[in-house]
Amino acid sequence: MNPWIRALIYAVVIVTLLMTVTAWSLWFERKFSARMQSRLGPTFYGPAGLLQPVVDGLKLLQKETLIPESADRFLFIVAPPLTVLLALATAAVVPFGADVVAADLNVGVLYILALGSLTIVPVWAAGWASNNKYAILGSMRAVAQGISYEIPLVLAAMVPVVLAGSMSMTDIVNYQIAHGWFAFWPPGPGFLAFLFFLPASLAEANRIPFDIPEAESELIAGVTTEYTGMGFGLLYLAEYLHTLIVSAVATVLFFGGWDGPFRPGLHWMVIKTLVLFGGIFWVRWSLVRFRSDQLMAICWRYLVPLALLLVMSAALWVHFVEGGS
Amino acid sequence: MNQALKQAYGDPYLDIEEYDPEADLMVLNLGPQHPSTHGVFRLKLYLDGEVIVKAVPFMGYLHRGVEKLCEKLTYLQLVPIFDKNDYVSPMMNEQSLVMAFENLLEVEVPRRARYLRTILAEMQRVASHLLWLGAFAMDLGGALGGGSTLFMYCFRERELILDLFEEVTGSRFHYNTHTIGGNRHDLPSGWAAGVHRALRTINSRIDEYETFLTTNDIYLGRTRNIGVVDGDLALELGITGPILRAAGVDHDLRRDAPYHAYDEIEVRVPVQTAGDCEARSLVRLAEIRESIRIVTSMVDGVPEGPLTSRKPVKTAISEKIDHGHAYACVESPRGELGIYVIGGGANRGASPYRLKIRPPSLHALSCLPYVLPGHSVSDAVAILGSVDPIMGEVDR
Amino acid sequence: MTILGQVPSERCQALLRDRFEPRDCDTGGPPLVAVARHVELATTLRDELGYRIFGFVVAAHYPASKSQEDGVDQIRIAYGLRTVGPSSELAAWQVQVALGETVPTLAHLFAGADWQEREQYDLVGVRFEGHPDLRRLMLPEDWEGHPLRKDYAIDTQVPPWR
Repeated sequence: MNPWIRALIYAVVIVTLLMTVTAWSLWFERKFSARMQSRLGPTFYGPAGLLQPVVDGLKLLQKETLIPESADRFLFIVAPPLTVLLALATAAVVPFGADVVAADLNVGVLYILALGSLTIVPVWAAGWASNNKYAILGSMRAVAQGISYEIPLVLAAMVPVVLAGSMSMTDIVNYQIAHGWFAFWPPGPGFLAFLFFLPASLAEANRIPFDIPEAESELIAGVTTEYTGMGFGLLYLAEYLHTLIVSAVATVLFFGGWDGPFRPGLHWMVIKTLVLFGGIFWVRWSLVRFRSDQLMAICWRYLVPLALLLVMSAALWVHFVEGGS
Repeated sequence: MNQALKQAYGDPYLDIEEYDPEADLMVLNLGPQHPSTHGVFRLKLYLDGEVIVKAVPFMGYLHRGVEKLCEKLTYLQLVPIFDKNDYVSPMMNEQSLVMAFENLLEVEVPRRARYLRTILAEMQRVASHLLWLGAFAMDLGGALGGGSTLFMYCFRERELILDLFEEVTGSRFHYNTHTIGGNRHDLPSGWAAGVHRALRTINSRIDEYETFLTTNDIYLGRTRNIGVVDGDLALELGITGPILRAAGVDHDLRRDAPYHAYDEIEVRVPVQTAGDCEARSLVRLAEIRESIRIVTSMVDGVPEGPLTSRKPVKTAISEKIDHGHAYACVESPRGELGIYVIGGGANRGASPYRLKIRPPSLHALSCLPYVLPGHSVSDAVAILGSVDPIMGEVDR
Repeated sequence: MTILGQVPSERCQALLRDRFEPRDCDTGGPPLVAVARHVELATTLRDELGYRIFGFVVAAHYPASKSQEDGVDQIRIAYGLRTVGPSSELAAWQVQVALGETVPTLAHLFAGADWQEREQYDLVGVRFEGHPDLRRLMLPEDWEGHPLRKDYAIDTQVPPWR
C-alpha cells in the first residue's frame, strides 16, 4: 500500500481515537475526583453519566463566542485551535504498536520535544490577545514555566535516547523489549529520569501542581479568562490531550511501549498509558499548587543539575557496561 | 503607630504618585468578583511586576444597613437579623446580642441556659474553623484540584455538626435560638450521644488534615513566613482571635473575661509565635481540638433547670428598655465580637436607640495594607484566606 | 453600665475621677470627658495602665429635642479599650460635641481606631480631626447624607445603582 495512504489512515484513526479518549477522560476525571471527595459525579446523562462529555461539547458549541473589543482578533481566534493542533501533531510519531505509528521518524524524540515546546506559544498568544490583566499574568507565568521546564524535560528524555542509542521511538521500544524497560533497568538513571520527566511534562501541560497559568483561585481563569464557548473548550481539550500524549510518550520512553509479559501488542500500550493518565489525575486532585517563584526555584536549583548528572550517568553506563558508543 | 512598626511593614498611606517614577506599576483589582475573596471584597493592588507595592481594601458591597435597621425593629425581632452578620458562626452573633440586652435589663441567665450556650458556641467554633480550612485549601489549590478535595471533606464533617444543630433548633443555619434571659430550644433526648459520635468522627478526621497542614511541603512552602503579623502590629490594629494568638499574644476572652459557663470550665488557649499563615492555621486546628474536648466534657453534665428566666413573650413589643448603655462581647472564631447597645429608641423604648457591632473581621482586614506589600499576588490570596474575613460582619 | 458584671474597670474609673473631671451623661452610659482632653486620656490608659487593644468607638446622634443642650444637635461618642491577657478589663468613656464640630482622632495612638472612626464618619457624620484618610468606608464615595442620623429616614429613596 502506498505509504502516504497508510500514514493518512493511521493518522485519521489515531486522531479520532485520541479525541474520543480525551473527551471521555473528562468523564473519568469528574467521576474519579467525585469519588475521591465522597460525591457522586455525573450521573444524569446516560448510564453512570457516560454521555456527559457529549452534552458538555454540545453545550459549549451553542454558547455565544464573545471577542472583547480591545482584543487582538486574529490571535484570539487562532490560539485555541492551534494548541489542539500542536498537541495532536505530537501524537504522529508515538508508536502504539509494533507497526502502528503514523510516521516513524528517526528523530522521533526530537520532534516530540520540539513540538512540546512549541505548545507554549499559542497559550501565550491566548493570554496576550485577551488584553486582560489576569490573562497576561497567566500567560507570562506560562511562558516562564514552560521555558524553564523544557530543560529538565529534554535532559530526562535524553536518558532513554542515550541508553538506546537512537532517537526513533520505535527503536527505543525495541531496545526495551530486548533489554528491559528503562524505568527499571539500568537501575537508577532510568527511574530517576522518569521521575523528572513526569513533573517536567506536567509543567509543560499546566497541570496541578504546576497549573499557575490557569490558577483559578488567584487569576480567575488565568489565560482562559476571556474565552467563552468552544474557544474555552478547545483550550481545555488541548490540556487534556497534551496530558494524554505525555502519558503515551512516557510509556514509550520508560515503560516499554507495547511490551508486556505475554502477547505484547497495542493493548499493553493502551493499558499503560491509561494507568499513567489516571495517576496524573490522582495527583491533580490531591495536591495544592506551588507559587510561581517556588516553581522556578525547583526547576533551576534542583531539577536541572540533577538531570545533567543523570544524562552523564546514562552515558557512562552505556560506555563502560555495554561497550557502546 | 511607633516607628519600628512603620519600618517593618508596608505603608497604607503611601503616595503612589511619588513611589518610583521609573517603575511601571500595574493596578490589579482583586475582586469584588473573584473566586477567592471570601465574600464580596475589593482589594486594589498596585503591582511592580508581581510584587505588591500598595494594597487598598474597599468594602461595603455587603452593607445592608443593619445598624439602621436596629433602630426600627424591636429587641426580639433583632435576634434572627443578627444571624446574618457573621453568617458562618451565627450562634456567636446571637449570643453577644442577647448578652448585651440582658445587661441592659440586668436579667440573670439560668445555669442550664449558660451551659447550653457554651456547648453551642464551641460546636459553632468547630464548624466555623472547618469551613475556614476548606476555603483556605481551595484558595491555595484551586477549585479544580487538590484544594477542593479538602474542601469537600471539611464540609462533610461540618454537616455532622449542622445536623446536630438542626435537632436542637430546627434549622441548620441561622438558628434564632437565643432570647433575652435564656434559650428557646431545649435539647432533645439522645442528643448527647449524637454529639459524642459526631465529634469522635471529626476528631479522627482532623488527624488526617493535620498531616496535610504540618507535613505537606507544598502547603508549608505557601504558608511559612508568609504574611507575618507580629504581636505589636496585631495589638495596634485591635486584632483579636486566632491572628493575635498566632503572633504570640496570649489573649482569649473565654478565659480572660469569662461569660456563659466558661468560668466553670478550663479553657486551654493555643498560642503560636511565628505569626505567619502557618501559625494561624495551627492555632485554628488546635482550637478545633480544644473545642471538641470542651464539648465532650460538658455535654453529658448539662444541669437541670429552667431554660429561660423570663416568661415566654406574646408580642414583639414586649421588652421595653428606655435608658442605659451596655456592651457585651464574645470570643467568636474570628476574635472579639462586641455589641454596644443604647436603650431608649423608637416605639417608646421597644427598639434600641443605637446599636453598634464591633466586628473582629474589620480589624483583621485592616492588617492587609500593612502586611501585603512585598508579597506576590499568590501570597495575597493565601494571606487573605488565612486572615479569614467574613464580609457579612465587616459590612453589616 | 454593665459588661457581664464588669463595669468599666475600677482602675479606669479611679483614673477618670483623679485626673479628668468626668461628668455623668444625661442619656446614661460611661462618664463624659471633655473633648480637649480625651486623647490625653487614651494615651494615659494605653501607656500607664496597659489598655492596648482598641475596643470600639460608637457615635450616636442626639437631635436637639432629645439632648438637654439648648437646641443644638449633639453627637455623643463612646470609646472602649481593653487590656491584654488574664483578667482582661474594659475601659470606657464618652465625649460630646455639637453637630458640625470635630473630635480629635485616636488613629495616631491606635491604628485600630482608623477604620472604626472612618465608619462613624461615614454613618453618623462626625469628623475626626487629624485622621490620616477620612473618607467613607461602607457607603460609596459619592453618597449623600449620613444614614445613622436620626433625621435620615430608613426608607430614604436612592436612585438605582448605576
